[in-house]
Amino acid sequence: MAILETKNVNYYYQDGDQRRYILKDTSVSFEKGKFYTILGQSGSGKTTFLSLISALDQPKEGEILYNNENIKQIGYEKYRRNDIGIIFQSYNLVPYLTAVENVLVPMSITDNSLPTDVKTVAYNLLDYIGLGKSKADRLVTMLSGGEQQRVAIARALATNVEIILADEPTGNLDEEMEQEIVTIFKKLAHEHDKCVIVVTHSNEIAQQSDQTFYLSKGSLVPHE
Amino acid sequence: MNFIKRGLLSVVRKKGKSIILFAVIFVLGNLIAGAISIQQATKSVENTIKTKLGSVATVEFDYESADKTGEFDFSNMTFLSVDQIKKIGEQPAVKYYDYSTTAYSSSKTVKRYEVEDAAIMGGMNQFQVKGIHYAPVLDFAEGKGKIVDGRIFNQEEIDKDQNVAIISDKLAEKNNLHVGDTMVFQTEVYAAEFSENGQLEVTDTRDFVLEIVGIFEQTAAKKEDNKDNKKEKDVQKMFMDTEYLNTIYTSAGVVNAENDFSSEAFLKANPELSEKDVPNDPMYTPIYVLKSPEDIETFKTDIKDLMPKNYIVKTTADEYDSIAAPIKSMSKLSSYVLIVSVIAAVLIIGLVVLLFLRDRKHELGIYLSLGERKGKVLGQVMLEVLIVSIVGITLSVFSGNYLARGVSDTLLQSQTEETSTNEQMFSSMGSYALQTDVTTEDVAEAYQVKLDSNYVLLFYGIGLGAIFLSTAIPLIYIVRLNPKKIMM
Repeated sequence: MAILETKNVNYYYQDGDQRRYILKDTSVSFEKGKFYTILGQSGSGKTTFLSLISALDQPKEGEILYNNENIKQIGYEKYRRNDIGIIFQSYNLVPYLTAVENVLVPMSITDNSLPTDVKTVAYNLLDYIGLGKSKADRLVTMLSGGEQQRVAIARALATNVEIILADEPTGNLDEEMEQEIVTIFKKLAHEHDKCVIVVTHSNEIAQQSDQTFYLSKGSLVPHE
Repeated sequence: MNFIKRGLLSVVRKKGKSIILFAVIFVLGNLIAGAISIQQATKSVENTIKTKLGSVATVEFDYESADKTGEFDFSNMTFLSVDQIKKIGEQPAVKYYDYSTTAYSSSKTVKRYEVEDAAIMGGMNQFQVKGIHYAPVLDFAEGKGKIVDGRIFNQEEIDKDQNVAIISDKLAEKNNLHVGDTMVFQTEVYAAEFSENGQLEVTDTRDFVLEIVGIFEQTAAKKEDNKDNKKEKDVQKMFMDTEYLNTIYTSAGVVNAENDFSSEAFLKANPELSEKDVPNDPMYTPIYVLKSPEDIETFKTDIKDLMPKNYIVKTTADEYDSIAAPIKSMSKLSSYVLIVSVIAAVLIIGLVVLLFLRDRKHELGIYLSLGERKGKVLGQVMLEVLIVSIVGITLSVFSGNYLARGVSDTLLQSQTEETSTNEQMFSSMGSYALQTDVTTEDVAEAYQVKLDSNYVLLFYGIGLGAIFLSTAIPLIYIVRLNPKKIMM
């Protein structure tokens, strides 16, 4: 059963009387326990699609359903707070906080019920992602790019959400680090039953996903 | 890691920005605190001095406004009637009142008291005989003098126009007079014109006898004796004190009888004059002692319709304007400084906060992308500014107050010197009850920049208000933030 679904989603820019479509009648569904990748050329609308399913932007037409409920009805802010985890290409961590404190941020924001000892949960998450306690207590500005992206992944997982969305998560990392991150995503999907959707340029990552969609001329089509 | 904890960590870990914000708030806080300190101090001086000046009022003819054109016919001047005086005296703001009349009489047996060798009255042995209606004697009730021997009048003596008198201890001492003794005074009637030798000749005279029932001591003079006043002030004061010490208090009826005799004898000696030229009605100077200085304005409003045309109310508080000029100019200056510094604080702190927010756009976008409520993001920024502000403002409370002391001491000193040269020490209102010995120096002495709860509360109120306002405006920036544009 689809956990996330888009139905006839249109997104366009109005240019005078003309509409320049980025996404046109896009209907696609995503399931739990699977690792998805979305490929496409630069400017094809991959990031726009991700921004729509992460509720950072709203479709002009059509609807996005989470567990069969329109995210508009859920409330975009509430949906971001309780139902998804987002990972960005440039990590987007709070610079004056430590790694563990960054992971604790969404835990204080979400309405989801979490274990009482959130700090231990945060340390465990970082440890699971590959960051030990000594690094967890460092300011994120003192960590390498790969380590910062691991913190960002741990942060996305911190609220115990079912959907993990990532925008070019390995764009700033070397190949070795890229593979480590992909391994984490695969583990999250297959071992922890998460729905992982990654927007990427990389065919190598796409090849390791359970399903790839290709975005071209506003249409999102399954890639064989 | 809720927004409160994030705010605290942001203040502690981003030291550079916190220090810049602190410095701006501290400097502006000092200006605001200084201005408030001076304002509070001037306000307290106003209250102290007005209380010291007392709440005494009189109603008198306003010659200046009546004769603006120079064509006023003074023979048609309306006098304040006893009924009008009494009606005004019945006002709720009045504690007690008196209306007195005065005659100047000479004596062959009683000699004037003079201070040392000062022959101020030019050798004339004349006494001010003050006829009163208020038996306890208003001047004594107001603390200008106190009975040291004998007693005050009783109401029956006043009502029955008895020839009783209260004199000063100095006059009694000089003439070896005691309670129970009698004094003989002369009412002299002078010619209408100077004689060939340049003298006003006495055309008629009659004696009247007063029995001493009490002896008073001047109380206000004692304080001044120890003061290092300027020489011209000493002379002026000496004159007023001498007059007061030679004043003979008696019943109004006695004085009225002597004034009646004087007018009749004058008309007799000058048959070409009519009664209109020599008004015989007693001219009373009413003195109203009000319940408190706050009642002055109410009293003025209440009696507006009870006064005859061209009459005005003069009060001891009117003196405040002239003696407190340095304080008033300092209060004005501090008001301007306060207004300018509050506006500057709102603008400068607002700009600093806005610049910091722009710099933190990314961080704020992260919170919003994680689903944080905008209210909490605003709360975090407000909290951060408030933490720094409270530290800055708390330090400014003390430093600003200290600064205000230094600045106001310098300002006050220079302005007091300037004002003292033009100062009028005594009131022009005619009665000793309305005269004040409060000087500019007293005002300067009463001026004290204090660190009290009123000042602290007012400063925190104004300071935090300005900071709230200056932070609230840039917060609109957060409300308009679009996380997609920041993060992707």
